[in-house]
Amino acid sequence: MADAATLLVLWPVLIPIATAALTAALWRSPAAQRWVGMASLMLLLAASLALTYVVATEGVVAKQFGDWAAPFGITFVADPLSAAMIAISGVLAFAVGIFALSDIRPRHERNGFHPLFHGLMAGVNGAFLTGDIFNLYVWFEVMLITTLGLLVVQRGRAQIDGALKYAAMNLFGTILFLIAVALLYGATGTLNMADLARILPGMEMSPGLTASALLFLAAFGIKAGVFPLFFWLPASYHTAPIAIAALFAGLLTKVGVYAAFRVFTLLFEMEGGGLREIVAVVAALTMITGVFGAAIQWNVRRILSFHIISQIGYMLMGLAIATPVAIAGAVFYIVHHIIVKANLFLLAGAIRKAAGTDDLRKAGGLLKSHPWLAVLFLIPALSLAGLPPLSGFWAKFLVIDASLREEVWWLAAVALLVGALTLFSMSKIWMEAFWKKPVLVRATPRRVPVAFVAPIVLLGAVTLTIGLFADPFVEYARTATAVLVDPADYIAAVFPEEGPVQAAGTAYPGTANHSQGAVE
Amino acid sequence: MSIALIVFLPLLGALLAPLAIRYGRNACAATAGAASLAAFALLMSHLPGVYAGEVVRQEAAWIPQLGLSFAFFVDGLGFFFATLILGIGLLIIVYARYYLARQDPMGRFYAYLLLFQSAMLGIALSDNALIFLVFWEMTSLSSFLLIGYWRHLPEGRQGARMALAVTGGGGLALIAGMLLLGEAAGTYAISEIIQRGEIIQASPLYVPALLLILVGAFTKSAQFPFHFWLPHAMAAPTPVSAYLHSATMVKAGVFLLARFWPALAGTDIWFLIVTPVGLVTMVIGAFIAIFKHDLKALLAYSTVSNLGMMTMLLGFGTPLGVVIAMFQVLNHATFKAALFMSAGIVDHEAGTRDIRKLGGLIRLMPIASVLALIAAASMAGLPLLNGFLSKEMMLEAAVHTEIAGIPYLVPTLATLGALFSVAYSLRLAWFGYLGPTRESYPHHPHDPPAGMWGPVALLVGLVVAIGLVPPIAGPVLARTSMAVLQTDTLPYYSLAIWHGVTPALFMSITAIVVGATMVALYRSLSTAHAALPHPEAKAMFDRTIAAIVALARGVTGRTQTGSLQLYAGIIVAAIVAVGLVAFLQGGHAPGAREMLPVNTPAIVAWAVLIAVSGVVVFAHVSRLITLVLTSVVGLIVSVAFLQFSAPDLALTQISVEVVTTILLLLALNLLPRRSEPERSAAARWGSGAIAVVAGLGVAYLAYAVMTRDVSSISEYHVALSKPGGGGTNIVNVILVDFRGFDTFGEIIVLGIAALAIFAMLDSALRGASARRLAEMLPSRRSGDAHPMPLVVATRVILPLAITVGVFIFLRGHNQPGGGFIAGLVVAIALIMQYIASGYDWAAARARYNPHAMIGAGVLIAGATGLGSFFFGAPFLTSSYDYFHIPLVGEVELATAIAFDLGVFLTVVGVVLLALFQISRVEHKADRTPVPAGPYEPPYDRQAAPRVVEPARDKEA
Repeated sequence: MADAATLLVLWPVLIPIATAALTAALWRSPAAQRWVGMASLMLLLAASLALTYVVATEGVVAKQFGDWAAPFGITFVADPLSAAMIAISGVLAFAVGIFALSDIRPRHERNGFHPLFHGLMAGVNGAFLTGDIFNLYVWFEVMLITTLGLLVVQRGRAQIDGALKYAAMNLFGTILFLIAVALLYGATGTLNMADLARILPGMEMSPGLTASALLFLAAFGIKAGVFPLFFWLPASYHTAPIAIAALFAGLLTKVGVYAAFRVFTLLFEMEGGGLREIVAVVAALTMITGVFGAAIQWNVRRILSFHIISQIGYMLMGLAIATPVAIAGAVFYIVHHIIVKANLFLLAGAIRKAAGTDDLRKAGGLLKSHPWLAVLFLIPALSLAGLPPLSGFWAKFLVIDASLREEVWWLAAVALLVGALTLFSMSKIWMEAFWKKPVLVRATPRRVPVAFVAPIVLLGAVTLTIGLFADPFVEYARTATAVLVDPADYIAAVFPEEGPVQAAGTAYPGTANHSQGAVE
Repeated sequence: MSIALIVFLPLLGALLAPLAIRYGRNACAATAGAASLAAFALLMSHLPGVYAGEVVRQEAAWIPQLGLSFAFFVDGLGFFFATLILGIGLLIIVYARYYLARQDPMGRFYAYLLLFQSAMLGIALSDNALIFLVFWEMTSLSSFLLIGYWRHLPEGRQGARMALAVTGGGGLALIAGMLLLGEAAGTYAISEIIQRGEIIQASPLYVPALLLILVGAFTKSAQFPFHFWLPHAMAAPTPVSAYLHSATMVKAGVFLLARFWPALAGTDIWFLIVTPVGLVTMVIGAFIAIFKHDLKALLAYSTVSNLGMMTMLLGFGTPLGVVIAMFQVLNHATFKAALFMSAGIVDHEAGTRDIRKLGGLIRLMPIASVLALIAAASMAGLPLLNGFLSKEMMLEAAVHTEIAGIPYLVPTLATLGALFSVAYSLRLAWFGYLGPTRESYPHHPHDPPAGMWGPVALLVGLVVAIGLVPPIAGPVLARTSMAVLQTDTLPYYSLAIWHGVTPALFMSITAIVVGATMVALYRSLSTAHAALPHPEAKAMFDRTIAAIVALARGVTGRTQTGSLQLYAGIIVAAIVAVGLVAFLQGGHAPGAREMLPVNTPAIVAWAVLIAVSGVVVFAHVSRLITLVLTSVVGLIVSVAFLQFSAPDLALTQISVEVVTTILLLLALNLLPRRSEPERSAAARWGSGAIAVVAGLGVAYLAYAVMTRDVSSISEYHVALSKPGGGGTNIVNVILVDFRGFDTFGEIIVLGIAALAIFAMLDSALRGASARRLAEMLPSRRSGDAHPMPLVVATRVILPLAITVGVFIFLRGHNQPGGGFIAGLVVAIALIMQYIASGYDWAAARARYNPHAMIGAGVLIAGATGLGSFFFGAPFLTSSYDYFHIPLVGEVELATAIAFDLGVFLTVVGVVLLALFQISRVEHKADRTPVPAGPYEPPYDRQAAPRVVEPARDKEA
């Protein structure tokens, strides 16, 4: 049972948890925390890639906790989608960890940066791997609380204000999540997602189930920052130190998107209940409001924060169309976007360092003083805008192609238009920060530290790889989609000896009669 | 040889040129030239094959999953355009070497130029619609970089951005169009698509695909109403203008129309869109060009006009139209590149491009002027030059074209266009080069080095050669046209200077005579023109952008106000709306489960719950009362747990209630006593309505779900708790065993929460917030801070409470209790010490480090789980056995108890850390001046002596 392959499912969560605990115990020595942290990130990266390799070669891997058979204990499942998310977040955490070496100040470390960072990684990876809907809620809580802590490691009025708004609105989201889980449990009597995937297709949609589905949508929508639930994001992201903001930008909203894809492929159908229409409209409005919000900003980080929202719309587009082609497109989109978005935030940090400001009205002249920075900026910026042959082009191509095939013209039109506006927005950063003469004349150009450049180069290389050698990535996205669309493999991995399908109203094996339930 | 190499050699040059600059400007230019020349040579190796009618196709996989491959093919059309791109490109590379100033970064220039060249070659040669798109977008991007090359010029940056917005936006439409076209044709191979015209035109996707592709072509080729970006792109260095706007970038749109001509042309909709757009562009562009003073602006509008002419010809949908269009492509490329380069020479040598400041250049720079005059004459369409030939053929074709049933419309407008082009060409020639010499020019004009006029001379040589001996262009034209038409037979046409007395001859004569008259009367015309309205495209573009930004500001400014109430209101309202959608779909009957009988305590509890919640709504201005009332809610919930036979939950709820209330009370001390004043009545009622609906919705859902009768996994838990988990307390076994991993996650949440509180409250210790606190606190001291009875009582209680904690912990697996509750009980006992005896007294005696406690707790819990690995069992597998302990007797111990110990430690650590931090804030804020130094942890022994401790004195 405890063979290497299934153990791999645990490491992406256990490594960061152990690191968080260890760094908390080493509270008084930030230097020790830093070393432990970097070592752990390397281990995490190796473990994540190993897991992805195993899943890619051997298929879905599942693991039961405490030796309790599903659905009675808690299950961790790594299907191709989870594995991809784990790998990409491992890469991102590693890159951000390097960036943080230079960006994170001792005062941030004294406020618990290291335990919080690794705690967040535990939450994110847990959310990607869990096969239990209530356990997913637990990981959402871990993420919520670590994010809150990270938002205030930099102390100041703006940070506390941002953190408060973040906490208030996200707590609301987790409450909705909890209600949705309760409704689902009330209707099905189980929490294991594979079990739910067996049971739900046989059930008709009761009001509780419909409400549960919509509440899941709302809860994940808040996490993902979709219209009109996104307000917490632009209120808080730009206040954190760059390394933290990059981590958030890359991972947090995408966990919401991931959860939505998981729940709305494995558990609920997109068809019926007006769900599809709601998601399509939400996707379009998310794209538009995000890009509009970016248009009026002059602060690089604020511009980028609004673009996160806008890009989430494209991923939801895939969910709204819900054909295998569309879902594969969205999966590819998520992977591409995590890298690109985090890289842009890191670049915002580098621009800030080089120009001495992140107000575009004051910056300028970077093409002359830091030409290599310009090249490094162009890679993720053009990828975000969707120019070929970068990863963003294929991502947009896939979702737009899917919506044209389904003849959802208006959604494709919105996606194209928002693409044009995104390009326009990126050209604004380029023109103001790189082309224009600097407003503040500086005698000597500031050096950008190596710890900033290395992760930017790393993530840029990943973006180029996904763009220029897109084929295996698209193929992988299609494999992942196949498991999502037809969860037979997923279910088989969780229930190796396929028991009878549990229908509603019948008793679980091994239990006494229960007609009066737990209420005595 | 490989066709792909033709495309990628310039790309290689783009990488090498910036590196070569360190060996000097000549080395840099030579590198760029060598790359282009090599590509040109490779291209020419295909010449015999192409002119023998062969089509060479090569393909290498790139992203087969998407149907994308590096597929290239050389046929007549591709060969023709590639020759123009590389041939003129080489001339431009030579010219630019002499044109660029010493301070211009030359490496970057050639890098951009070759990148652009590579993209253009890709467009011309690709045989896959998707890779075509890749190259198409690459031209938009590289032209953005080229146009903005002089980045210090604001007009350069803005022109670049406008070009990017228009052509990039058009490119997106083209992407959609190509996808639809591929769908309709069933393939992305261009060589296949163009043979499936009938299938495509019968497809319902034909019209949307056509419209989208036309948007792409029209934006790129600057067709009305997208023409406005091209003149603003003139802020680029002249070699760029000469390259982009004579032979390449703008011709990409024409190429697109020609390439897909067999697939798309020939229908009414094609004719009715493409022809009028081309016609209007031709006339308007030529008209505007007459009155432009900047040489390059004049040439830019002339380019717009010429592109209009080619578009119109392709729009005719006749084979003859195609032949003439291709001829015009060739002729325009030669004379317009020559003219742009001449304009650059004038700018370079005379220091201005303003026609009003020029004149008489023929005497000052004779070689350059003669060359420019010949090219201008060709542009005017004067006989014996190539421009005359294609214009004459165009007019002839126009005569036979009828649109909207009006026979004279097309010929009249075509003549008008020709007439205007005579006018602007003559104006350029007369006011620029001929005419009287000025007394002073910004620079002293003289002929440039041969490197600059040489390329012009070569092109003018072609202009004259084709003009004098038209048949030399015959094979090129025939092969190209055959490739466009995908046929081996061409319609009859004759390449000759004299076609006899035809309508076209009269139209030409009219154009030349009236055009010349217009130039003669230029001064009065110009006054009249000044009175006309001048729609300024840049202003309109800027206004559009400003309008979008204003709209964005409106939307974002209204919603992203920073008001949490507004955000919460919108979010709840949105969820209520979504919930309504679910509700309206019907089927909202509750479940069939039997109801429990109502009893008096339940009714009382229910009534109290409602009353208390209601009062909170009105009493919330006072924070203390709100806290007290909400704690009542918590107590009633724990009573409800008892009622439903869940003593564990009740115990947990009560202890959590106590801890949170104490911590909140401490925190309240740091806040103003009353909350902010209320918002307006309307806002309150609105929020109230949303809240009530949302509350009712949740209540209904709770009802619906609780009345359902469903079997659940908890029955398994009930059955297996003792035999499988070794405990009779099912809740505890679920917490530490069945779903131990949830608990593991939750203790992490707790631990992190404590760290977050720690970080957050730390900010209250310094700066403005600390000063505010210091002002607020001392006024609120009670007379006796540490009442003696309380001090004594808590000291006595401490050991008792800890014993109770241990007891609860140990019995937890079988009786109500467990690590979580035990942790809370011990924490409460410790908190009491702080409350009774004061922070300093307690802190001085605290021999534990809460951070370490939290870390240790999580690690112990995790290690317990990992321990099971050593027995080959999965993570968090528990085992249990019976032990005999003297005095206590038979005791059952499960490994889960170690896990529970982790939970216990974490809980105690968390509560204490939160408490420390809150008390420390109050404590420090109490003293002035505000501490400014770095934070010292409270458990740090070194920090303690700093503090005077009143409690210790009392004890002594």
